[in-house]
Amino acid sequence: MAPTPAQPSAHGPQHTDTVIKVSAFVKRYKKNAAVDGVDLEVRRGEIYGLIGPDGAGKSSLMKAIAGVLTYDEGTVNVFGTLVDSERAAEHVKQRIGFLPQGLGLNLYPDLSVEENIDFFARLRLVPEPDLLERKTRLLAMTRLDKFRDRAMKHLSGGMKQKLGLICTLIHEPELAILDEPTTGVDPVSRRDFWAILAELLQEKGMTALVSTAYMDEAARFHRLSFVSNGKELASGTPAEVRALVPGWMVTFEAAPQLDAIARLKRTYRQVEALGPRLHVFTASTDAAQAVSQIETALGGMTSSDLRVDEPELEDVFVALLLRQVEHQEADGALSVSPMNRDHDGPAIEAKGLIRDFGSFRAVDHVTFRVQPGEIFGLLGANGAGKTTVIKMLTGIMPPTGGEGRVAGADMKTAGNAIKERIGYMSQAFSLYLDLTVVENIWLFAGIYGLDSRATEERLQWIVAMAGLHGYESHLTGRLPMGVRQRLALGCALVHRPRVLFLDEPTSGVDPIGRRRFWDILSRLAREEEVSILVTTHYMTEAEHCDHLALMYAGRIVAEGSPSDMKSQVEQEAGRLLEIETDIPGRALRRLKEAGFSEAALYGTKIHLLSRHHAEDEVRLRTVLSSDGMSVKAVGGRPLSLEDVFVHRVMTLEQQEAATKRGVGS
Amino acid sequence: MNGGPTSGSRRAVVWWGRLVVMTRKEMIQLFRDLPIVLFLTYSFTLAILISGNGLRSQLHNASLTVYDADHSSASRDLVHRFHQPYFRLLGELSRPDEGLRRMDRGSVMAILEIPPRFHEQLAAGEPTAVQLLVDTTNAPQGLSAAGYAGRIVAQFGQDISATRIGGSSGGAASLPIIASEHRVWYNPDQNEAWFESISGLLRTITIFAILLPATAMAREKERGTVEQLLVSPLTPLQIMLPKVLAMTLVILGATAVALFGVMQPAFGVPIRGSVILLFSLTALFTFTTAGMGLFASTITHNQAQVGLLTLLVVAPMLMLSGITTPMEALPDWVNALMLLSPLRYFIEIAYGILLKGAGLDVLWSQAIAMAALGGAMFGFGTWRFRRQFQ
Repeated sequence: MAPTPAQPSAHGPQHTDTVIKVSAFVKRYKKNAAVDGVDLEVRRGEIYGLIGPDGAGKSSLMKAIAGVLTYDEGTVNVFGTLVDSERAAEHVKQRIGFLPQGLGLNLYPDLSVEENIDFFARLRLVPEPDLLERKTRLLAMTRLDKFRDRAMKHLSGGMKQKLGLICTLIHEPELAILDEPTTGVDPVSRRDFWAILAELLQEKGMTALVSTAYMDEAARFHRLSFVSNGKELASGTPAEVRALVPGWMVTFEAAPQLDAIARLKRTYRQVEALGPRLHVFTASTDAAQAVSQIETALGGMTSSDLRVDEPELEDVFVALLLRQVEHQEADGALSVSPMNRDHDGPAIEAKGLIRDFGSFRAVDHVTFRVQPGEIFGLLGANGAGKTTVIKMLTGIMPPTGGEGRVAGADMKTAGNAIKERIGYMSQAFSLYLDLTVVENIWLFAGIYGLDSRATEERLQWIVAMAGLHGYESHLTGRLPMGVRQRLALGCALVHRPRVLFLDEPTSGVDPIGRRRFWDILSRLAREEEVSILVTTHYMTEAEHCDHLALMYAGRIVAEGSPSDMKSQVEQEAGRLLEIETDIPGRALRRLKEAGFSEAALYGTKIHLLSRHHAEDEVRLRTVLSSDGMSVKAVGGRPLSLEDVFVHRVMTLEQQEAATKRGVGS
Repeated sequence: MNGGPTSGSRRAVVWWGRLVVMTRKEMIQLFRDLPIVLFLTYSFTLAILISGNGLRSQLHNASLTVYDADHSSASRDLVHRFHQPYFRLLGELSRPDEGLRRMDRGSVMAILEIPPRFHEQLAAGEPTAVQLLVDTTNAPQGLSAAGYAGRIVAQFGQDISATRIGGSSGGAASLPIIASEHRVWYNPDQNEAWFESISGLLRTITIFAILLPATAMAREKERGTVEQLLVSPLTPLQIMLPKVLAMTLVILGATAVALFGVMQPAFGVPIRGSVILLFSLTALFTFTTAGMGLFASTITHNQAQVGLLTLLVVAPMLMLSGITTPMEALPDWVNALMLLSPLRYFIEIAYGILLKGAGLDVLWSQAIAMAALGGAMFGFGTWRFRRQFQ
């Protein structure tokens, strides 16, 4: 950085605590307003979140703040400098670190980890001694130090993102702007990423503006703005945002589930089926009243195992989005059309599946079974082997060993029969974007050999199911993500398959679209007995599955229904404690020193697993208060599937590291 | 499934139906890709017109200056024999060194220097010489200018001798002169536009035949749609064949436009053989070349790589298959390599049918060679197609 005399404007007349101030911001692409009048204020030292689905306008806003995109109306002040010209932007850029969207897109694939860091440091004129010191510390913190010499292209998604973060922060900017740093990254790496970010911010007094499409990450921010369609729907601290939509989340079981849903939907807009449980958001402020209202709505059906919780932020966002969308599109009437029944017995059966790539075993004796009408979730980090399993079962890839039967046909001998009986939808929503909606449907109908009468019938069914009325002759590329996703599902169902494979089917879709998608899936499974095998990175979605299998390093390491998975972890490691203190960063460090090794920062709160609640609570209170920190609250929280995932994978990683050490010594 | 003949015929219907929907899909996608449509239109119309009009390998209007140190009737007579369309006389130089300066600047291509006493020596029957300086930076043009000039001077000398001998000993008829009489076949007017526009068309067909299916395939890989096709009951052949079919149909249509809409009206290019045979063999050629393109797409990851690889394959194919350079002039190993180039056979077929009126009785060996090559390419491509995803 050139030693220019301090600019008086740099610290300006504004509040010294304000790092970013955006008002009435408008950005248009041709005629479409991507961002339409957003206000934003980010203060020094906070992690500010921009939350919203794909196409909400988050990236445009962040690029404008980073000084790499012009805008049409409003003002953007960064460090008190009005960013309205290239020169002003150049001035601000030196104090900013910007991580663009996309896994490792800012990095050079053929350079090694260390070469990438060195390149960015020299670009930013970081003095060599500083570089050496920071590099060592950051590599250790991200656990990338073992991979110094590995080319970036050979890193996993999570590692790429951590390297991207190092390269963005190597010049110790005052403000870090990170555009969807956790998209496409598995839950463990994601949690890692947040921990590193929190630690760096605290040590260096940095400020961060971070966007995400994962609603469940909202609680990690100090303050946040929820954006949709270029408009800000809510902003403030997580607690303030939650207060915007008062109400309770009531969960219970009721049978038959479909009848219960139909009755509840007459009164409530947010009804969700997660496995056997129903989740209903009620707007009434009184918990007891909420329960009695639901019982009235159920009209005599018995409910069991009922509990009332505070709504999650995601429920709040959905409520806010529903206010924005005044007319709720009529749910496509799913007429019951019996699928082709070509056999009895399990829909999918994998027995000891193995797949080697050279000397690397990507899938290691995987065995599982999917029953007819069951939604089966395959979870795991990037590279755990989920996609390889799907590829083998769908016949794209021959297995090295093991057996598999799909829809009654043997994987090895009847590959073509399998292909005619299954539907498949990948994360890319493999549609032809330059064909219209009906052209896509016709194409897939033709591929699966439907005659013209069947094609017409299925076309009507898909249009109704996916809510595509009025979109029929639109080019697929111009459809909103949620609609595109439902069309892809429709195309995968055109030949009435009995088994459906979904490989990360919901990436980039907004929460309402995602909920609607899962509604369709559960109806397909419940009403039409379609068996569904799904992989996902969204742990909140895994709750929809009837049965889960967690993969790690090519093996299945845990299996069961979502509640089984949770209770297994609770038995092994204890229940979840949430601690609220005034100085969370320091408190976390103290707790780790005191032996709570699994403690993790979750926004401004600390989460840890504890087997003996009462004793641990006493112990941590004394540890913290002896250090002069006040503990505002300690409480139990229900375990989420993400907690389960992270706990399982971390334990395995630790075991692996331990055995390696054992072998090494 | 019912089994028996019904299930067999039903399978055939499904097979055929798949081919039709996939081919239609490729056509729709192609025609919605505006840049490609524009490029295609330009290449088969304007570009053909330009190559027919613009490219000349014959000597045409070569600029010539003269340094005439003699200024006699003989020297003027010689100078006047250098005339259009071969040479364009720019005028006379006053000093001998002026010519070289002009040649350095590139403002003149040839300089004719006539020595003093030129006329005297001729009249006296003594041997004499003129000097021609030629700029051969552009070798073919320069050499051809030198050749023409040599013929003009030789003819001049012959005429002079003839008059001298005829003047002294009664009649040129007694002189032993061999006249070489040319009969130009197939293109009696020596119309270069024919050759150039046909070779332009062949070049264009080759480029599109290899590029269109290859980019269509690469695009599917890039966007991930190929996965959806792989898990469907389509066989690799059913995925690849429709691309070739669609692109072949488009190229045949474009060829018809170029031939009947540009080359016939503008240059009067004849079609002496059978139109049906021409288009059938063009289809075979497109199919074969498209097989190469598809193979290229199985070893690349995106459209940019396909573009570069195409350049790498097409450039030598165009240069060495006999359009620009005669095959006989190439080293043996290149000749052997070009046996693998479908263009080598198609050139003979296209010129044969258009200009010579040849039929299958003459061209069968080329057609068979092309078909064999195409079948091999296609088989290899479909085999690679599956393997690349495993």
